[in-house]
Amino acid sequence: MSEPILEVRNLTVHFYTYAGIVKAIEDVSFDVYKGETFALVGETGCGKSVTSRALTQLIESPGRIVRGSVIYHSDKGSVDLLKLNEEEIREIRGSEIAYIFQDPHSSLDPLYTVGYQIAEGMEVHGRVKSIKEGIQKAVDILRSVLIPDPESRVKNYPHELSGGMKQRVVIGTGIANSPKILIADEPTTALDVTVQAQILELIDDLRKKYNATVILITHNLGVVAETADRVAVMYAGKIAEIGSVEQIFKNPLHPYTKGLLKAVPNPMTKVERLDAIPGTVPNLITPPGGCRFHPRCPFAMEICKKKVPELKEIEDGHFVACHLY
Amino acid sequence: MQEEYKKGILDRLADKFVYALGSFISLFKKGWKEKNKSKMEEWRLMLYALNRSPPALIGLVLVIGFIFLGIFGPHLAPWKYNYFPSLENWTVQYPAPPGTSVYLPYSHKTITYPLGSDNYGRDLLSMLLHGARTSFVISIIVIFLGVPLGIILGLIAGYHGGKIDELIMRITDMFLAFPALILAIALSAVLPQRLQMFVQSHVVLEKLTLLLFALDRREVGNLGNLLSVIFAMIIVWWPAYARITRGSTLTEKEKLYIEAARAIGLSSRTIMFKHILPNIIGPILVYITLDFGGVILMEAGLSFLGLGATPPIADWGRIVYDGIQYFPRAWWLIFYPGLLVMLVALGWNLLGDGFRDILDPKTRRSIEFKVKKSEEAESNV
Repeated sequence: MSEPILEVRNLTVHFYTYAGIVKAIEDVSFDVYKGETFALVGETGCGKSVTSRALTQLIESPGRIVRGSVIYHSDKGSVDLLKLNEEEIREIRGSEIAYIFQDPHSSLDPLYTVGYQIAEGMEVHGRVKSIKEGIQKAVDILRSVLIPDPESRVKNYPHELSGGMKQRVVIGTGIANSPKILIADEPTTALDVTVQAQILELIDDLRKKYNATVILITHNLGVVAETADRVAVMYAGKIAEIGSVEQIFKNPLHPYTKGLLKAVPNPMTKVERLDAIPGTVPNLITPPGGCRFHPRCPFAMEICKKKVPELKEIEDGHFVACHLY
Repeated sequence: MQEEYKKGILDRLADKFVYALGSFISLFKKGWKEKNKSKMEEWRLMLYALNRSPPALIGLVLVIGFIFLGIFGPHLAPWKYNYFPSLENWTVQYPAPPGTSVYLPYSHKTITYPLGSDNYGRDLLSMLLHGARTSFVISIIVIFLGVPLGIILGLIAGYHGGKIDELIMRITDMFLAFPALILAIALSAVLPQRLQMFVQSHVVLEKLTLLLFALDRREVGNLGNLLSVIFAMIIVWWPAYARITRGSTLTEKEKLYIEAARAIGLSSRTIMFKHILPNIIGPILVYITLDFGGVILMEAGLSFLGLGATPPIADWGRIVYDGIQYFPRAWWLIFYPGLLVMLVALGWNLLGDGFRDILDPKTRRSIEFKVKKSEEAESNV
């Protein structure tokens, strides 16, 4: 468990827009260990998705990866993913590191059958010789993501499937090449609650079956508690706290994490009103100096306005970026 | 009360046509008909939608007529375009009005002019039929070379963005800044000599051009002019398509499935041509159909200005240009070619408008619904 597969260091992505430079993520560092489920949590716009896309250079203009490194330890040795050229990174994308996107309704091309889309991913990485062979293999993949009657579903177009089915197909395209790392970007947001649980369970089963590592991006703390091994909490483009699920939920250190957890309804205790964190996520063109959370932080001190807090290890494997510690 | 459609003769014909087409394809690909039931159903509904729109039907008839004339015109023409009766019989006053018959003493033939003749005694009908080929071939070449050029540049600009986008689109702007006709005039005035030399130094190209335009070997010296108009129009035609394609590409590439395609490691080229282009091609196809009329109009306009096809090559615009000096006495020299240009341009425009409805799945569904409803009503009675 303690062998890292991905080491992210000082990852910084800026978007050069007309309004100014949006510092979407700044100096994000974390490790992902082999075989675990690593969750990235945070509210909308805090840079979770940008972080996950930056891992394989999937940042579109006007965005740019300013600095940082992403060391990927594969069986063939270690490489810095950010130093690879377009050709080399394309070989990693989809075959070693695969993505499952948020909205299954729009992440499939409406003009091709689902079989074709799964086959396309296998063909481009040379796992199958032709699309035709790929479509035959796609039947097995659809079966493994628990789609009933895969032989006839493989010929269906996306509009002929339900949301849950589409998300299974999207997961199918993700696992088609049995990747080492599966990045699931809010895989359940667009689905009904009943289907959500099934999809999460499916992803977890596939992780065990293919011995893969899952990076789960979500703003749903319930999902995190259920599925993740370790958690990184992000706020305004920076990592606030990293730790195991137990550490984060039992002993949250960062005021932001505490606030988040208080905002989740707990069925065991009776509360009149849920707590909310006052204020909103800061504008990332001109983020607050020092700790980016200080304008909303109940424990803000003088130093918080001036100095950017470093990630400090408080207990074994539990890091926090806060001047309180 | 909702409108109901009854199946008409045309709809039954459409049923038979689609069935026959399906069976025909099944001859080559076994079981195609059974596998592609839904595709055939869509085709059937497209034809139904066409049948519900009289303007589109008229457009279709006009366009089919034009294509027919474009392909077979020169073979149907009773006389050759470069046959000059005035050289044999100069006693007649040319241009001769419709219905005149002239005896040609040297070849012992009588030539009758159903639509009149020009000032050299050439048969106007034959010239119009030959001219159909000229218009047809030019419009096809301009569309088939100019449009893909614009589409490819637009795709690259839209997909890659940044500096490449700026570069391509600023060049496009430069071309669009000139009035199209002026640019085409300038180009077709400058290019002929060079193209003439180029064509004559490539025998295959020379033969192909003569064949395409159904011209005599004697016209080799005039190919440069003809090709320069084509070349000029391609240069004028691509920028509009580059712009439309870039616009649609910009919206399309933001779709999640394009990002998903990148995330599974597809190359930019595959994404552009297999995922973006098929998704934006519908509106472009409609635009192309509408544009065929535009190309024919502009070609006629250029030859009306004396550029392009040089006599004796038959060309609608050129016939009008040469006929002006005999107007209004020889009205037929202006009326008939003008009428043809108008009908063809109108045909393509009507068809293009019809296409827009036919390609819209919502229209198709509503027609399917209405036809089914009336079928139920019939069976109840």
